[in-house]
Amino acid sequence: MNSSLTLPSGTAAPSTRRILLIAGAVVIAATYLYLVLVQPAEIAGGAGTPAGLTTLLGFLGGGALLVAGILPGLNTQAVVLMPVGIALNISFGQLAGTLGLPIYLDALGTVLIGVLAGPAAGAATGVLSNAIWGLFNPFALPFAAGSAVIGLLAGLAARWGMFRRLYLVPVAGLLTGVVGGLLAAPVAAFMFGAAGTMGTNAIVAAFRAMGDTLLVAATKQGLTSDTIDKLIIFTVVALIVYALPRRTRNAFTFVRRHRVLLGASSGDSGSRDESAAERK
Amino acid sequence: MRFRRRILNPLTELTIAGLLVVLVLVVDDWRFSLAVLLLLVLPAAATSGRAVHIAVAFGVLAGPMLMFLLLLHGLFYPEGERVLLDLGPAAVTAEGLLFALEMGTRVAAFTGLLLTAALSLEVSELLETLTHRGWNRKLVYVLGSALGLAPLVADRAAQITRAQQARGLVVTRSPLSKLRALVMVGRPLIAGLLTDAADRSRTLDARGFAGTGPRTSYRADTDTAAQRAVRWGLLAVVVVFTSWWYVGRHT
Repeated sequence: MNSSLTLPSGTAAPSTRRILLIAGAVVIAATYLYLVLVQPAEIAGGAGTPAGLTTLLGFLGGGALLVAGILPGLNTQAVVLMPVGIALNISFGQLAGTLGLPIYLDALGTVLIGVLAGPAAGAATGVLSNAIWGLFNPFALPFAAGSAVIGLLAGLAARWGMFRRLYLVPVAGLLTGVVGGLLAAPVAAFMFGAAGTMGTNAIVAAFRAMGDTLLVAATKQGLTSDTIDKLIIFTVVALIVYALPRRTRNAFTFVRRHRVLLGASSGDSGSRDESAAERK
Repeated sequence: MRFRRRILNPLTELTIAGLLVVLVLVVDDWRFSLAVLLLLVLPAAATSGRAVHIAVAFGVLAGPMLMFLLLLHGLFYPEGERVLLDLGPAAVTAEGLLFALEMGTRVAAFTGLLLTAALSLEVSELLETLTHRGWNRKLVYVLGSALGLAPLVADRAAQITRAQQARGLVVTRSPLSKLRALVMVGRPLIAGLLTDAADRSRTLDARGFAGTGPRTSYRADTDTAAQRAVRWGLLAVVVVFTSWWYVGRHT
């Protein structure tokens, strides 16, 4: 349904794309390890250290490599979904503010695309979302790598059937939040001196008052805020996806192929059988 | 008021802003950050024709950040040794204030540079330049579509919120009620957007979106060979300067 009948399905060579993906993942992991291992000297030293530069270039560049590796392999359906996810990230981030919710909700679109179109589309949505949002809010820019990982993990959780058992959805959200919080902490600490919102600032200040280094305090704050945020986002996405018309959610190749959702296989009501949905 | 500086291509402006951000991070000195802010960002923003817009965005984004930096590091900086004022668990230290100053000027320069470049550029001109430069078509589509969709989605979310409120949705202070409101607004919003996306996907496929042949653009290329050369030249200068700063300077 998605492949064109009249045009050759030419994409970049898979090997080139794999090299780009591996390079992107290595750059992001190396950046994180460098920041965490070299950190004690950096933050006390202050000026003249490449921590801020490494954070920005490593996480943004790694994200760009991931996008370059993912994008040529995506079909039109997934590409068309990505702007929807990005727009949802932005508007739900604002909605969380107007509803007065104490969480960010700005990864809701990324998680939704991960669940409906797969880990690759989720990761690319995460990176591009932060890059585009960065045009209006530059602070979003260096968090691109963290968003990529959130989209990737949401897609993997969907692929591994965690959205078929509703009690596993918050667990998947919690685990994603832990990884997201860990990746976001060095960005907050080295790029922005851990300044964020009123709430996150109070948490960082409390840990600093207990004598933690800035990175440790930012990591503890990230683990607190991000786990709660992602837990709620995953739950809300599951509630919304299950409330969608069956025809709408079954239109997605990824959802059908990996039986992401309960009763997503053939559309008949008898497919709620757990053992049948386990493995095809 | 309609005085817009239309000298450079948007891609060139973004490149310059990005490279200046790199320089600010490399030099990492509050005097340099402040100089960039006052000598480059301020005149550029003032002559962009969108000075008020940029000033408001800068104030909303960077204002609280700068205040929090001052409060956080001014009061809680356990590494600080020269204590100026002891307040029990909190202490005002000279090192903390210096760190807040360095981070603050850096954050301000970073925000100012990128906001000035992004808010004064014409998105359609940027997309058309990217098409002419042969950037990935899917990437250009995602960029353009997301920037067009964002205000639309916000509008639709507001409409759905009002419709649900007319049907009896009341948001109380309890988090559970807010979560329920989120799902009640999110479900019709996302269902509608996904249906639209499916339609668009079929339309794009029918028009050869997945094809790999060369593309033509309706709009003329505003990019020039000179600007392309300037972009690559500036990039080379920043790379050389950065390597000298970290490696060559100490040997």
